[in-house]
Amino acid sequence: MGSRKEEFEATCNMFINAVSNYFKHLTEIDSDTKVPYLKESKELILKDFTGMIGISGGRKGFVYISANRDMFAELINIFIGIKDPSEEDILDMAGEISNILAGNVRANLRANFMISAPTVFEGMPKGVEIPEDISVYVIPISWNKHEAFVVIGLD
Amino acid sequence: MKKLLIVDDSSVMRRTIETNLAEYDLEIIGQASNGVTALEIVRDKMPDVITLDITMPEMDGIACLEEIMKIHPEAKVMVITALSDKLTGLIALDKGARGFMFKPVNSVDLVRAFDKLLKRDGK
Repeated sequence: MGSRKEEFEATCNMFINAVSNYFKHLTEIDSDTKVPYLKESKELILKDFTGMIGISGGRKGFVYISANRDMFAELINIFIGIKDPSEEDILDMAGEISNILAGNVRANLRANFMISAPTVFEGMPKGVEIPEDISVYVIPISWNKHEAFVVIGLD
Repeated sequence: MKKLLIVDDSSVMRRTIETNLAEYDLEIIGQASNGVTALEIVRDKMPDVITLDITMPEMDGIACLEEIMKIHPEAKVMVITALSDKLTGLIALDKGARGFMFKPVNSVDLVRAFDKLLKRDGK
């Protein structure tokens, strides 16, 4: 059995694969993953809109995807042909992507990786801080000239 | 024309399914964002075909599927879920679903699955 660190890195790799598959399969445009890094500070790293999933089971934590409005709007345009989506649609899109990424990763981890329904928000929520015992791994991605972050926090 | 109910907590996903199934002879008789609302529509309108998400608030898709099968066992339910492990798919089939798909699903996946679903029943 691998160490907690190896387990954590393996989980992060699963998310990288899930991100790559998501964009390629749905848009036929490859995403590009920049060098992932462990985040030292405890504040959230966020863009304009975020979809977050809570993780429980063998490991506890969260995963979220955060991007600016334009990226989610472009995805919505590709999927349903709406060029100027509402804010509600943008948040919905953020939540759905986070749900799909977490659900895909859960396929490999089963009972050790239970996932919640998505929480979505715009901007920086007040009073949210990453607990001390959570390690945070940031995966910067770009897709079709848009920048986004997938952030994984696990105990 | 067959009656279709789309159940998914994502509004964008519901509209994506609607857009991609437009070529079929299906009348969309309702959309629901959770299992409780879905069951109300099933009782009221008895849809022939249902797309069903699993991870939803209030009542998840598996619990909803069990209730649908009690109310309307002839309904052809296609589970479309982000929980992409085979066990989830097999549980859905065991509970009465006619098929399952793992998100992300694109238009080709949907058309292929619905070709099979509707052809299988000769309708």
